[in-house]
Amino acid sequence: MSTRVNPNLLKEIKKYGASDDWNACFHCGNCTAVCSLTEERILFPRKEIRLLQLGLEDKLATSVEPWICYYCGDCSETCPRDANPGELMMSVRRWLTAKYDWTGLSGLFYKSLPALIIAFVLVAIGVLTIGFVNNFDHEAIMHFGHRMELFLILGVFTLILVPNILRMFYFTVIKAKVNAPFGSYFAAIGSLIWNMFTQVKSLKCDKHTVRWLEHFLVVVGYLGLLVITVFLDWFGTENQIIIYLGYITGGLVFVFTFLLMISRFGKSKELNKFSQPTDWFFIVWLFLMGFTAFLVRLFMDTGLLENNFWLYMVHLMVLAQWGILLVPFGKWTHFLYRSFAISFANLKKAALNVKLATAA
Amino acid sequence: MEDEKRIGVYVCWCGTNIAKMVDVELVAKEVATLPDVVIAKDYKYMCSDPGQDLIIQDIKEHKLNRIVVSACSPRIHELTFRKALQNAGLNPYMFEMANIREHVSWVHEDRGDATKKAKALIAAAINRVKWHESLDKRTVDINPSTLIIGGGISGLSTAIEIADAGKKVFLIEKSGNLGGQVAKIDLTFPYMDSARQLIDPKIEKARKHPNIEVFLNTVIDEVFGYIGNFETKFEQDGKEVELKFGSVIVASGLKPFDPGSIEGYGYGKLPNVVTSLEFEEMLKSGEILTKEGKEPKNIAIVHCVGSRNLDYHEYCSRTCCMVALKFANQIKSAIPDANVYDLYADMRAFGKGCEEFYTQTSSKEVMFLMFDQQEDLPKIKKADSKDNCDMLIDVNEKLSGEAVEVPADMVVLMVGVEAQENAKEIAHAVGVSMCGNDFYIERHPKLDPVATTTDGVYVVGGCQSPKDIPDSISQAKAAASRILATINFGSVEVEVTTAVVNEDICCGCQTCVSVCPYTAISYDEEKNVSVVNEILCKGCGTCGSACPTGAIRSRHFTDQQILSQIEGLLSTSKELQEV
Repeated sequence: MSTRVNPNLLKEIKKYGASDDWNACFHCGNCTAVCSLTEERILFPRKEIRLLQLGLEDKLATSVEPWICYYCGDCSETCPRDANPGELMMSVRRWLTAKYDWTGLSGLFYKSLPALIIAFVLVAIGVLTIGFVNNFDHEAIMHFGHRMELFLILGVFTLILVPNILRMFYFTVIKAKVNAPFGSYFAAIGSLIWNMFTQVKSLKCDKHTVRWLEHFLVVVGYLGLLVITVFLDWFGTENQIIIYLGYITGGLVFVFTFLLMISRFGKSKELNKFSQPTDWFFIVWLFLMGFTAFLVRLFMDTGLLENNFWLYMVHLMVLAQWGILLVPFGKWTHFLYRSFAISFANLKKAALNVKLATAA
Repeated sequence: MEDEKRIGVYVCWCGTNIAKMVDVELVAKEVATLPDVVIAKDYKYMCSDPGQDLIIQDIKEHKLNRIVVSACSPRIHELTFRKALQNAGLNPYMFEMANIREHVSWVHEDRGDATKKAKALIAAAINRVKWHESLDKRTVDINPSTLIIGGGISGLSTAIEIADAGKKVFLIEKSGNLGGQVAKIDLTFPYMDSARQLIDPKIEKARKHPNIEVFLNTVIDEVFGYIGNFETKFEQDGKEVELKFGSVIVASGLKPFDPGSIEGYGYGKLPNVVTSLEFEEMLKSGEILTKEGKEPKNIAIVHCVGSRNLDYHEYCSRTCCMVALKFANQIKSAIPDANVYDLYADMRAFGKGCEEFYTQTSSKEVMFLMFDQQEDLPKIKKADSKDNCDMLIDVNEKLSGEAVEVPADMVVLMVGVEAQENAKEIAHAVGVSMCGNDFYIERHPKLDPVATTTDGVYVVGGCQSPKDIPDSISQAKAAASRILATINFGSVEVEVTTAVVNEDICCGCQTCVSVCPYTAISYDEEKNVSVVNEILCKGCGTCGSACPTGAIRSRHFTDQQILSQIEGLLSTSKELQEV
């Protein structure tokens, strides 16, 4: 059964940030040869570039390989034709994110900056309206804010993230006809949890120790801040330990995101050379979230918040935009997809092993 | 002729090339005892200056009048040593070479046997050289006119070059128009210049040039004569035309391959499968339309049609890859929203500006698909109505390893090129040789790319091998410069090792006339004998062996010389039998 080629797939992927550089690719395979993460049966980036050039959409949509890449940039640096395979893989991941997302909003936000900005403005107006409706009553709004956080986490998780992960499973395992033995699923779940919290695979990329540490601290800070504000009610508590932990985690988030921002701005590393608007929104909003949370608690502790309630309104706005737009439809999901992809790839390898064993 | 035969024999070591397998010192010592050998020496490199000086010195000192050098092939150094003899005041033909490298040391593994064989060959050469005669070089005058066969870009370029130098040119074209294949194409790669702007001024100039006489609709059946003095006859407009000229240029070009024989491509059956030349016609007319008169939305270009495939032609047709890229560019500008699929086997982008052209084209949303041009050609078939296109092409795409299907409303077959239908007749008429593909063979593929083994006859352009325009013109101008140099010199030296007829014995049977491959022998009716044109004669000896009465003698290959040589070889047969 042959698949129809489709020149329009490239045009589509270009909307997700891919430049025209890939045209230069003449399939020498150096990118795959230098990649620290590609392995037998999980081959990239050359194979994915070819699928893309031929427009074999189904093959690309069902491949798990793009998620195994942590974008160290070795492939783009080594490429003799400057075809920039690393950036292409990044664009494919954005496209896949949109494929997995049943709402279609991920694709819309990736492809259209105006749509993203309008959504941000709408959310901001919504937050202001809520403030207005509540006559900017401090207590009521802060209470609302706390409830909003809880509902957002629950809602995004059940309505968006879980269905989308299931869709990813459908694409990369069921549609790709991966017949993994039953036992391999248990191993896959084990590796999922380990990889999700450590992202330890990225250490395989040669230059990644510092980057991994930065990311790890941001993740620790982010998850810590989440737990402390949402479940331990940082802004309401009198417990000194919780308050200090809140300061530490908030500080971790904005200090390290600030460092990541500088590095992205400097474009010194291969992976930072091609920032998309969505990349910037993600990192800036993460920074703002940590920073405004930190300031809110600081203002509370110094008694300044009473006369500067606008600060909390700003924080709430950032939080709402983050939770409603960036987490479900933006780059945040990479964290999930990458972790699941490692497990799905293990299923694929297990399935191929069985296939080869029976063939032999 | 001197009575006493004084022979010098020189055995070369060729470094270790000969010496490692042949005991050269022993051989030299042994052959020194043979009759008439005055001196026999061995030396590291006979062809070197000191080696040649050694011979010259000995000729003077020992009054040698015949020389044998046993070394490499005479093809390599016979002329070198003949020159040495000349420098020493001897006739250069008083020389014989024994090949103990290619025929002995390089092909044998036993040193003892090799040494014996070397000795036998030298003994043969010594016996032969005893009967050598002095021969004198001859020169012939050059007619300053040139005949050019083929009015394409190669022929036109040579014609104009020679005519501009003030020499007469006869330009023969078999069709009714000048311009050849270039006149059939629209733009040229890689700079997208108009072919018309290249060829039209040349056609115009050739037509009006006072030194160029153009003969259209003309085919040459036979060219008589030899370098400097050729002639031919043909009919034109009912009149007999007779031309005399000193040099011949074959610029008969090539023709496109007929893709009808490749079944899977459906040429002739599927109406929208066209050849590259038919597509050029469309481009020239300014309209790319399917047979149904619609603008195609999907155009596929298939490379290597009839080329690089053992079932058709093994060779690369050289220009099709770049023409295909040119088409891709032209389609993209004519129908910007058309999808262009380029099905290639290997992208061959050598030549100035070509790799850049490929890079530039590949950035234009052209989809490149690689197929195996020997084992797994794409298959073109009619599409169903639900397929939303006219045809579908099944390709096993090599770089992805996937079986894919390419939609197409028009397929352009990049047909290769092959020798002209009348290539054999032209070859026979002017006396050039052909290789397996009916392309003409140059005298040396690297060092003498425009001359042929027939003196005064040159090959240029597509008739020698598939070529692009720049290469054809380079060859054309190279041949022009060779011819102008010959004309300028005014005369040329010719071979003297020709056949001679002993008229007293010749019975006039004309056997020799019929066997001569160079038409060098004619029959004198008055005297009832055969007459050899010594300038046409190449000294091949065919006539000599065919002559029933022994009236024809080949100079430098006389019966006496050859029989003595065999005798010399057999004189050591006792030793050889032990081998």
